[in-house]
Amino acid sequence: MGIILIALFLILMFIGVPIAFVIGIVALLGIINVPYIPEVTVPVKMLNGLDSFVLLAVPLFILAANLMNSGQISQKLINFSLSIVGHIRGGLAHANILVSMIFAGVSGASQADTAGVGKILIPNMKKQGYDTETAVSVTAASSTIGVIIPPSIPMIIFAGLTNASVGALFLAGIIPGILVGLGMMILIYVYSIKRGYPKYERTSLKKFSKLFLDTLPALFTPIILIGGIISGIFTATEAAAFASLYTLLVSMFYYKTLKLKDIPKILVDTLTLSSLSLFALAAASALGELLSYYQLATWAQEFFTNNIDSRWVFILIIIAFFLFVGTFMDAIPAMILFIPVVLPVALMYEVSPVLLGLITIMTLAIGLITPPYGLCLLLAAKIGDLSIEKSFKAVLPFIAVIIAVLLFVAFFPDVAFYIPKLLSPGLF
Amino acid sequence: GGGQETGTGQGGSADSLKIIAAHNQTSPDNPYHDGLLKFEEVAESNSDGAIEVEVHAGTLGTEESELVEKLKLGAADVVLVSPGFMSATGIKEVDLFALPYLFESYEHWETVVDGEVGDELATIINEKSNNDFKVLGYWTAGVRHYYGKKPLESIDDLKGMTIRTQTSGVVADYWKQAGAIPTSVAWGELYQALQQNVVDSAENAYPYYIQQNHHKTKNGIYTTETAHDYTTRLLLVNGKKFDSLSDEQKEVLLAAAEASVEAERQSLYEQEEEYKQQAIEDGAQINEIDRTPFIDIATPLNEKAAQNMGIEDLLQKINELK
Amino acid sequence: MFIKQLEKIQLSLGIIFLSIFFIAVLVQVVTRYLGISVIWTEEVANYSFIWAVFMGAAVMVNRKDHFNFDYLSKKLKGKAKQSLSIVTDSILLVFCSGLFIYSLTALTSFWNYNWVSLPMIKMGYVWLSLPVMSITMVIYLFAHIVTSVKKIAAGEGNE
Ligand code: NA
Ligand code: NA
Repeated sequence: MGIILIALFLILMFIGVPIAFVIGIVALLGIINVPYIPEVTVPVKMLNGLDSFVLLAVPLFILAANLMNSGQISQKLINFSLSIVGHIRGGLAHANILVSMIFAGVSGASQADTAGVGKILIPNMKKQGYDTETAVSVTAASSTIGVIIPPSIPMIIFAGLTNASVGALFLAGIIPGILVGLGMMILIYVYSIKRGYPKYERTSLKKFSKLFLDTLPALFTPIILIGGIISGIFTATEAAAFASLYTLLVSMFYYKTLKLKDIPKILVDTLTLSSLSLFALAAASALGELLSYYQLATWAQEFFTNNIDSRWVFILIIIAFFLFVGTFMDAIPAMILFIPVVLPVALMYEVSPVLLGLITIMTLAIGLITPPYGLCLLLAAKIGDLSIEKSFKAVLPFIAVIIAVLLFVAFFPDVAFYIPKLLSPGLF
Repeated sequence: GGGQETGTGQGGSADSLKIIAAHNQTSPDNPYHDGLLKFEEVAESNSDGAIEVEVHAGTLGTEESELVEKLKLGAADVVLVSPGFMSATGIKEVDLFALPYLFESYEHWETVVDGEVGDELATIINEKSNNDFKVLGYWTAGVRHYYGKKPLESIDDLKGMTIRTQTSGVVADYWKQAGAIPTSVAWGELYQALQQNVVDSAENAYPYYIQQNHHKTKNGIYTTETAHDYTTRLLLVNGKKFDSLSDEQKEVLLAAAEASVEAERQSLYEQEEEYKQQAIEDGAQINEIDRTPFIDIATPLNEKAAQNMGIEDLLQKINELK
Repeated sequence: MFIKQLEKIQLSLGIIFLSIFFIAVLVQVVTRYLGISVIWTEEVANYSFIWAVFMGAAVMVNRKDHFNFDYLSKKLKGKAKQSLSIVTDSILLVFCSGLFIYSLTALTSFWNYNWVSLPMIKMGYVWLSLPVMSITMVIYLFAHIVTSVKKIAAGEGNE
């Protein structure tokens, strides 16, 4: 039966049935086949899958990012980033990465970053003589940092699934996220020397100070957000609501770049974008019920106990597995389906939930820039008007950077955990 | 699929019957799991294998409210839930067993739930749920104590302390009147909240918070054995499904339930000792306290709650059994 | 025209629920700081969120915006392309019809359950979101199929 369902999954996907529905259809057919699960479980699970306070953060973070893009805060952040790294050779590309790191501190998702920053920077980079491949790939690749540096929607979901602490997971993402950013900057630097990309003049201190003051209200957002969640003042959901409200107020009344008439469109964009991934999540919850009926977790535990006695091999298998799953599935449904299966095994190998979460999320972030289902890559390629094949080829070196950091974090977790261990030693 | 009608085996003991028994705890060494494994063992051996029981431990994120829904829909046959989740199905009387200081000891608790009061509540649940739910027995998730940043020497020590507990209902009212400030913190965030001074204290049973290392945090070192809640959990079967079984099958399941009740309580009592011991070894400070002032606050609240639920007689019977 | 109206109503409904949920979360933060305990915010937020997501998901069915792989569809032209979209839409139609029927069972089973924080409100109002979502999906899909069939009949599959 399992084989039939997997085959069905692939066929439906191939003929173009939307992924969320493929998941739902496979769940329903599987459940019809199991006499002990009534079919009504499918809608029941779909609704219950959404009935969780942590999930409310998803549309809220998307709303915050949409507000930043509409309120031209993205543009301000780009100018600010340019004033810091613009004078390095390949300045605009470096700024592209740096702005994604700052954007990451507000946004829990990555697509909004690709869309917002990409629209401004890809045409600009082309104009300055960067090849389109570089413009598209650096934009797409750097936006994956959005889910590694807190806040992060996948981290919130992971914590909800495993009862791991969101705060600890957030803290654990900071250093790896910065490492990924720095690694990409090194890569860009090498490219820039080779291909002679342009640089900007160094920004004068006076101009920098002015820019800094102008950007400060926008820069406050990540500080309040991450600080608020980690110190326990806000839950992740509340922080997301606060971030949206703050961005709304700053762009409407301080920067005056957002008008009341812009709001309905922002709300529509937020609703439609978030309902896509959340509907897939709902369907995945139904399929998860089928998987739990087959007691896949027990099976996985037995398999690993009998066949693999190395923690490292386990970690590598996890990375390979989620790398594969991430190519055709969103991070959220992927975690809903497989984290319950993987976590008990991870605990067996003394991989803490926080480490497992970090590894999983960094791996699934790569899925954002791998075809066929790499939303950030698709988006950037569309903006840059470049074929998916060429875009993917260009993004490969960046994937290598993420994997290098990922392996480093997996095998030397103490580096990533330096900050969280300082604050909550008992969680590791 | 097939749902409700599957495996009901109306013909008698010769028919095979499959029972899905589910709880929400993920850890395999949880007393719930021991109890349901016992249920499986007895049901299968007493029926010579004609009845097959499949125990489903909780997967991550399994909510008790879902177990209740599954039971009603026929996706599970036997489940374990706490009173709070039953009251959401419209049976508010179940909340009686969750009132603070309702029971004074495990002996008292056992006498009540295994006796007339337990039977009466079971009848109410069965009737009000329209035979969706039938109580097979009462389990426990341990006795809950205060733990926080300072030991309670008297009730005044609670004044102004934030405590992670329920923020609505009688339990919240009780803590408020005792001087504390009920605060909502997710279970997964509680370790950090205690460590980083977001909340001053919390309350739970030894096996649950010691497993989570709460006693190793700054605000969790001191446990005071307030014993404010000898918790009750309900072992439920779908009543309609149960009625459709043969007399022999019913007998087997009832015997299995009885054995599971025994096994679960035994396992829980042992774990409570074990985890308390572990806490002491880890350096947790544990003290006892005169419970009278706490009980004095709870008593009128409980009376009023029972009156609202229209079951003053049950409360009175519980008090008489002390 | 009817489809357009329906989508518009559904989208507005989704936006209203999204706004309610946004406000409920903000009320929760603010009241906690003021030390007032408002216990209904979490349930109001959760349930309006569910409604918002399901309404949004249905609208996206009409807009054909749920993410799918379009390799095959891109390779095909004219009649074959229209036929493929009839096939996929029909698969979705069958699934959504099933979902509608099963969600009616869920609706009737849990209609009388109550909210925890506001016991006088029935859970039925929450479960109602499922049949509303699935039946509107059915309508949108049916309309898509009719459009595809018409295109084939008119021989204008060649875009
Ligand atoms: Na982020
Ligand atoms: Na970028």
